[in-house]
Amino acid sequence: MSNGATKAPVSQIVVGVIIAALVAGVAGYWAGTQRGGGMAKAEERKLEIFHWWTAGGEREAADAMFKALKAKYPDIQLVENPVAGGGGVSHRVVLQARLSAGIPPDTWQTLGGAELKSYVDGGYLEPLDSLYTELKYTDAIPKPLANAVTIGGHPYVVPLNMHIQNILYYDKKLFDELGLRPPTTFDQLLAAAKAIKAARPKMSPLALGSKEKWEAAFVLDSLLLEVGGAEHYVKLYKGEVDVAADPAFKTALERLNTLRPYIYASHPQLTWDESCGLVVSHDSAMVIMGTWAIGYFKSRGWTPGTDFGAVTFPQQPERVLLFHPDTYGLAKGAPHAKATMDWLKVVASADLQVPTDVTQGGLFARLDIDPGQFPDPIRQELQTYVRGNPGKLILDQHGSIAPFSFTQAYWDVAAGFTAKPDVAGTVKAVSELFTTYKVQEGAAWYQWP
Amino acid sequence: MRLRLTPLRALVLVMVAALSVVYILPVYVMMVTSLKTPLEITQRQYLLPSGNLQFGNFATALRLVFPSLVNSSVISLTVTALSVFVGGLGGYFLARFRWPVTKVLFVLLAIALYLPYQAVLIPLVRLMATTRLALTHFGLILSYLILNVPLAAILMATFFFSVPRELEESAEVDGASRLQIFFRIVSVVALPGYASTAILVFIQVWNEFLLALTLVTPYTTTIQVKLNDIKGSYVALYNLQMAAALITVLVPLTFFLFLGKYFIRGILAGALKG
Amino acid sequence: MSTSSHAVRFARVREAAPFALPLLVFLLVLYGMLAWTVYTSLSDWQGTAPNYTFAGLKWYRFMVGLDRFWVDLDNNLRWLVLGVVPTTVLALCVAYLLEIGAVRGIEAYLRTLVLYPAAMSFVVTGTIWSWMYQADRGVLNTLLRAAGLERLTSGYTTDPATATYWLILIFVWQYLGLAVLILQASFRSVELQEMVESATLDGASRLRILIAVLIPNIRGGILVVVSLLLISALKVFDIVYVVTFGGPGYATDVLALFQFIATYQQHLVALGSGLAVVIFALAFIIIIPYTIYALQRWFE
Repeated sequence: MSNGATKAPVSQIVVGVIIAALVAGVAGYWAGTQRGGGMAKAEERKLEIFHWWTAGGEREAADAMFKALKAKYPDIQLVENPVAGGGGVSHRVVLQARLSAGIPPDTWQTLGGAELKSYVDGGYLEPLDSLYTELKYTDAIPKPLANAVTIGGHPYVVPLNMHIQNILYYDKKLFDELGLRPPTTFDQLLAAAKAIKAARPKMSPLALGSKEKWEAAFVLDSLLLEVGGAEHYVKLYKGEVDVAADPAFKTALERLNTLRPYIYASHPQLTWDESCGLVVSHDSAMVIMGTWAIGYFKSRGWTPGTDFGAVTFPQQPERVLLFHPDTYGLAKGAPHAKATMDWLKVVASADLQVPTDVTQGGLFARLDIDPGQFPDPIRQELQTYVRGNPGKLILDQHGSIAPFSFTQAYWDVAAGFTAKPDVAGTVKAVSELFTTYKVQEGAAWYQWP
Repeated sequence: MRLRLTPLRALVLVMVAALSVVYILPVYVMMVTSLKTPLEITQRQYLLPSGNLQFGNFATALRLVFPSLVNSSVISLTVTALSVFVGGLGGYFLARFRWPVTKVLFVLLAIALYLPYQAVLIPLVRLMATTRLALTHFGLILSYLILNVPLAAILMATFFFSVPRELEESAEVDGASRLQIFFRIVSVVALPGYASTAILVFIQVWNEFLLALTLVTPYTTTIQVKLNDIKGSYVALYNLQMAAALITVLVPLTFFLFLGKYFIRGILAGALKG
Repeated sequence: MSTSSHAVRFARVREAAPFALPLLVFLLVLYGMLAWTVYTSLSDWQGTAPNYTFAGLKWYRFMVGLDRFWVDLDNNLRWLVLGVVPTTVLALCVAYLLEIGAVRGIEAYLRTLVLYPAAMSFVVTGTIWSWMYQADRGVLNTLLRAAGLERLTSGYTTDPATATYWLILIFVWQYLGLAVLILQASFRSVELQEMVESATLDGASRLRILIAVLIPNIRGGILVVVSLLLISALKVFDIVYVVTFGGPGYATDVLALFQFIATYQQHLVALGSGLAVVIFALAFIIIIPYTIYALQRWFE
């Protein structure tokens, strides 16, 4: 009796509904024909890969990776799922949701250290002992790097590079003009900043962009490394130092505060690349940033060694390099496990690492690659140093030693300090973070040296 | 028409001028940026136009975003149509069947409007994975439908409240069924309600980023995710991002302008019939 | 009671079913997911893999012990008040002035102009606004300096004490168009037009007409606007995410952003779910007046 509704004169609503149904049909057809790789059968030569190198110089680095894969295994069909966001902020959202829902990609980009550990603890990665044995990869890479990807005795991912965090870049022409030497200690840094300020009152000697927070922690880290030394650095991020009573942490904060008048003031509004841009535009003369900044400066037309120089900072009491790697692993239950293993073999090879790392900015993970492969003197020197002193590498807090829950909160506090310095309050807040996030428990896996 | 400058006119002119500045300035910056080279953008001279206009940016941007524009249009239009349909039915139930249970339902729906997407993101992805819909267009469509039906139902109920009951009573006397009454009379009178609900749902879905990101695949990438990707994280390609955004905004803006007219015409038509 | 009243009731239910059932299904799914979130907030899920071990209020206690949580709550209240009231008042003024004083062409122009922020990706407009606000070379300060108003330049979002207000201003900018559109539409019923005409004949001033005739009669429209703004202000995420990322430090952080960071960056899913429940509880309190009004109107 109520079925007469459908015979009603064609009102606009009914037309709307028909259109909706048609659109849904088209959408369904579209979805049916183009269904993604994540749900396909296991035997296909496909590889679903998540990474965060989407554009700019990083896109070219990703292309270099996949070119190396194609050269070795032309039959593998690549299903790329790039998600933008510096350091993988959005990337982690996608992964968290997809992993916990049980639909993992075959392989995904991850940093080593605590981030890797969170995936291993979740049971999302296969151990790669046999692959490491087959490729003798443990011997091919520095020991600290191998440690950073080894959890509970098993390697879980293959690193393709190493990024060094504690590097101070400087405007070479300005330094030459003012007769300054690149600073490698806090006192030299302060003196250089004062000299620059005196000669160029409009400049902010030290650039900083703390919008994403971790940038501020980089500066603090470098200061801390000099005050406390390498062992203290590791102990601190392993949660074995009582921060509230630690003179080194307090001194590092005080030094950061002393530097503040020479730091670019509107730093909360800039991201790391924009802060490096301050150096290029001669608003600043120095910036503390990781090796990826080399790629940035080059993209701005600056030549390493001519327009800008770089030194590891600090070099007292010893020259330590804080690092983190980009890595790929094999998902547990990966739909295309075989293709993924082939991919990992390529990741471990010089064929991939040379073109990718030269483009993207890090150092080679493999020690047997000739440092001369780098076109710039800066990385040639760094790679040579790493080759001779692999023991001087320490996993940085970006990577990190401490659990990720702590690190995120720590960055906020460090960035807050650069905006509104309060030494006592910050010491208290950081000391609480260490207990709140149970750092000692969470970082116990890390072995150094 | 007389064009004397009354105080009222002056006030309106001042308002139009002030709003024009506030709303045109950002678009101006976008346009200027979209025609620059990446290097010019890094100089951070936001106001100055480029000396060397890069119209090619628009061609590049269009090529990059076209597939995701299709994806987003398909998804947004389908969700909009389906949620005003389901929401219309539900809204009518809320407005006309005044049972105690309806009251509870109303409150539950109203609260659901305030649900932040992040709160259900993980269970939603889980649900999509279980139903094997994740990683397809259907997955996104169904997810958005679940999240937007409460909004549609509440809004439609609000509109149905204002439809005079006498209209229905006379039809009831003629022996029409409820569904007939709903489709032939109430829905027609409430067309402006459908239009404004559709606008709101469309905006929500078109602009949604987080869920689209979470369920992203190379084949279903929506425009918001694409706009985020285009810039990259290394050397920020803001020029392409802005060009893409200017191209992209044409879709919802056309939708608005078309429905906006419909919106007002519908109100007048509905009122006349009433 | 008698069988006939039973039959009548059954007929009513059958009549209502096609309208209510689809809605019920969707609502059930939604609340199922919500119940899941509530349960997760009581579990001990930290890390990437699900862990549903019941932990009681453990993570709620953790939450209230965090300074950041209280900063967020404070900021969210600012958003609710300053994001909703000025926007509504402003939209009312704009809509009314357009109604009474604008030529047709101008009205269409302005409506399109104020609407585009709603149609445009916030990833993009957010980027533009962060350029507007940049202290050294940003758009606003450049303009002020060019106009010789050096005194008025400001650090905008660099100052932890005032940064949130600058963010709220973007919200007002973004939502004004939608509010105007809805209010304009509600002005235009024939009954209301007639009331305005007769009030005008009686010699009432335009301001009086707005206050005494229009506003009381478009309560429905205002309610829709206010609820829309409340929803959006409480859930605010993208403005903060794009423009300041919660900074400086966490001075401009809001609950929704913390919820995101806790769940997806810190992998503290139980804490993140707890924060979602808090947002939801706030929504519940805020929505009570709306619900009461709607229910009253419904049974009048």
